[in-house]
Amino acid sequence: MSKFFGTMPKLTSLAAAILALLVGPSMVMAQDVANGSATATVLTALSVTATAPLAFGNVLQGVPKSIAKTDAAAGIFTIAGAANAGVSMYMQLPDYIELADGSDRMVIAFGITDANVDTTGGGDPTAFVAGDGYADQDPHNLPSGANLSDAGAANIFLGGRVVPTVDQTAGAYSGDIILTVAYNGS
Amino acid sequence: MKSFSSFPGCALHGRLRGVLFALGLLLLLTMDLAAGVLVAPTVIILSDKERTGRMTIQNPTNKPREVDIYFGFGLPESDSLGDVRITMQDSNVTDTRSAMAWIKAFPRKILLPPNGSQVVRLVATPPESLQTGEYWARIVVRSREGTVALSPTGENNQITTNLNMIMQTAIMLKYRTGELTAKLELVDASASVRDSLVEVILNMANRGNVSYVGVLSCRLLDADKKEISHKNVDLAVYRDMKRRFNLPLRGEKPKPPYQVEVLITTEGRHDIADEDMIFGNVINRTLAVP
Repeated sequence: MSKFFGTMPKLTSLAAAILALLVGPSMVMAQDVANGSATATVLTALSVTATAPLAFGNVLQGVPKSIAKTDAAAGIFTIAGAANAGVSMYMQLPDYIELADGSDRMVIAFGITDANVDTTGGGDPTAFVAGDGYADQDPHNLPSGANLSDAGAANIFLGGRVVPTVDQTAGAYSGDIILTVAYNGS
Repeated sequence: MKSFSSFPGCALHGRLRGVLFALGLLLLLTMDLAAGVLVAPTVIILSDKERTGRMTIQNPTNKPREVDIYFGFGLPESDSLGDVRITMQDSNVTDTRSAMAWIKAFPRKILLPPNGSQVVRLVATPPESLQTGEYWARIVVRSREGTVALSPTGENNQITTNLNMIMQTAIMLKYRTGELTAKLELVDASASVRDSLVEVILNMANRGNVSYVGVLSCRLLDADKKEISHKNVDLAVYRDMKRRFNLPLRGEKPKPPYQVEVLITTEGRHDIADEDMIFGNVINRTLAVP
């Protein structure tokens, strides 16, 4: 495994290049639509993508379950925009999740170190290392001063914990996690 | 940790795995990145002469997208360390420069079909007594999948969870009226060596009646005026702002004493059309690094 992860720094640049290739054309198209011009040089549109949901899987009554931010089941948001652009990120997190009919709810908690912010554009939460960006961040208060990578990408990896009660009603519980992103320089 | 190529006899195997990883990543990115909506342009300018504008929202995915549009308020502000962030407010905004209350969008709820796009029209209806200057709001574009399927309850009455990951992009809207001036003052500036970096701190104050939007460049030079490193950032100063930059001392033993050239200008922005720019003063400053 260590050999495999040893390739990550080199592959990060490859991933960034692929990211740029994939995202670039559609964004340019979007900008062209707005500007009515095929030749304008414009800032790349800022895009936020929920790449993977925070997935707790099945939960047992009375047994809290945690997902680490470095787990493959961590929630992933991907931000794409202009290379090296400064961005602000703001996350709104639920205090509980509930059944569709509202008849029962379950506590969900996010600790003050439950987020990693990867400003290299690497998309794998299990491969994150401290040098890739901002480690152990409070998801309620994401770091200021973050910049997108050379390829214009960043990822947020989010962990969390659900705490079902011993008499938690069986069913599908849902809630919203909202990420807002804005350019700092305009 | 070593890379694959560092292991004798493993080079080909390593390359193969690298290629497979890249292909997997490509597939993953292709799938995953097909999820957010795109909003353009990134800044919208309205004025007393042109009170309507438009933006385009595009769904590049093969799934329908529910899009909601609402208004908020938030300016780039710096903390005590010189890092910038925008704190969004969607209610109880008391800032006299907020345009939130009198900007409207049509439509505000959209169901975007796969690969579809929609033009959203923006209309300003400012109060008559509006003073000369610039007024601001954030257009927040919220998107989620058109149909959110809850995980089914398991056969054994299991408890399952489904967290909807909702994406929001906040676009700056500016409304301008009257004679406009962009003017920035560099109140104070300093540079100091910190380990293998030179830390630059700039305190700026907006002295005009519009946001000062431009580019800030810092160049770290050695004793022979040779560039060691540099940093360029897009800058938007609405009121006061403190910015901190770390310029690495790269290369083989750069020759001290160092100095930092600071250039702040409204030229060089490619994300805003020239006709929408308010060009202002240029600041040139050279800082000695003690």
